[in-house]
Amino acid sequence: MGIHIEWKDEVLIAKADGRIDGTNAQEFQRELETAVDTSTHAMILDLEHVSYISSAGLRVILLTAKSLLKKDAKFAVCSLSAQIREVFEISGFDKIIAVHASQTEAIAALKN
Amino acid sequence: MQHPYKILVVDDEPDLEPLMLQRMRRHIQAGHYTFLFAKNGLDALERLNQDKDIDMVISDINMPKMDGLTLLGRIHEINPHIPSIVISAYDDMKNIRTAMNRGAFDFVTKPLDFGDLHLTIDRTLTHLREWREALASHDNLLTLQNELNVAGKIQQSILPTRFHETSDYQIVGQMDPARNLGGDFFDVLHLQNGRIGLVIADVSDKGVPAALFMMCSRTLIKSAAIGNRGPGDVLCTVNNLLCDDNDVAMFVTVLYAVYDPKNGELTYANGGHNAPLIVHADGRSTLIPMTGGIALGVMPDLQYGQETVTLSPGDILMLYTDGVTEAMNDEDQQFGIERLHEIFAASPPKDSQECNTMVFEAVKAFAGDTPQSDDITCLTFHRKEAET
Repeated sequence: MGIHIEWKDEVLIAKADGRIDGTNAQEFQRELETAVDTSTHAMILDLEHVSYISSAGLRVILLTAKSLLKKDAKFAVCSLSAQIREVFEISGFDKIIAVHASQTEAIAALKN
Repeated sequence: MQHPYKILVVDDEPDLEPLMLQRMRRHIQAGHYTFLFAKNGLDALERLNQDKDIDMVISDINMPKMDGLTLLGRIHEINPHIPSIVISAYDDMKNIRTAMNRGAFDFVTKPLDFGDLHLTIDRTLTHLREWREALASHDNLLTLQNELNVAGKIQQSILPTRFHETSDYQIVGQMDPARNLGGDFFDVLHLQNGRIGLVIADVSDKGVPAALFMMCSRTLIKSAAIGNRGPGDVLCTVNNLLCDDNDVAMFVTVLYAVYDPKNGELTYANGGHNAPLIVHADGRSTLIPMTGGIALGVMPDLQYGQETVTLSPGDILMLYTDGVTEAMNDEDQQFGIERLHEIFAASPPKDSQECNTMVFEAVKAFAGDTPQSDDITCLTFHRKEAET
């Protein structure tokens, strides 16, 4: 698991890769907490290169969504593989977290 | 404060004792060390046997009765954790090598340089202190490991192991945790008018936090299910209770179904859990429709829809957690739902026990040597064919 942070149009983009599970969820949480701290009003978590996410990883995404909500910042995830989209759909997370097909689409949605 | 370290000095030179006490007096006065003295290896062994508080040994090599190299071997037998420094003649590499091979921690050469000896003693004691800390951490870890094992047993013991069976149905459930403490659980509830409540759930993550959240979820579901309330209503109540003060964002996916033996109807609500399978007597298997609910504990004031399906005689309802479908093999493939359809089509299970066994064996065979990363749970309900 790794996370790459970049800024696009004043939106913080956190791009994760690899497997996110119980063995690295804490590291994932630390990285995202740092991102949340620096993010001013919008953050996108790009999951394109994430091959697997367990419930431990979903919990970290939920924590991130909650902390951004608290500081009135917007949050979205994008570029989910079919498998990860299914995890989001089964758990119902797609109903409470904005899911977009691509970064471009997510940025456009958050800027509105 | 650390008590002074007790150092045993072994040398047949009578002059060493007063010299050592004189040159090390500042460290002795400061309470860093105390010194004991022995005249040869045998004398030293006697001291070590009498005084179990000796922290380290400084020994000459050539001595009457028992030499320093023999002494090193014998110290190891008394207490392998006592470090030793040997004093050798300058340039005596052969004896120094032998001493190191017998476990000496370090060496100094004659004529003694007390400044160097002091540094060597301090380095040895630092090593000793770190070693003792590591041993203590190791002991704490063993204690913690033991407590986790006990907690795991408690957790397993709250899962039903004996299942009520009637002429109409048979139930079998099993949970294989990935670590000592799991996040999965299942329950079988006996409700009014012979109805049966079936619960399967998966708490986010594993370990101690998941186990605590699991205990809490299980009790809440059990108490909310009492009475005549529908599954959707039960999940709604439990969700709100779990959302109270849930700062750590733990959540639990739950499928709760109520079976009515009067008509074979199964009414269920889903809180973000995998859709159960119905395995028909001919081996065909279908996923039951989802009800669109969100995992419990995520957000308060959610509504949970419910659906009803009818189980035909001979049908098996299989509730499972994602430990089954997301089990990985050594090629990084997931077990998936298709394989379940295939194994049931190839050999239709005749009852709950057989269905459960088939699933656990298939997952095990698929995963091979790949370590189990998630808890694997199956709760299987078989509506029996009417006896003729």
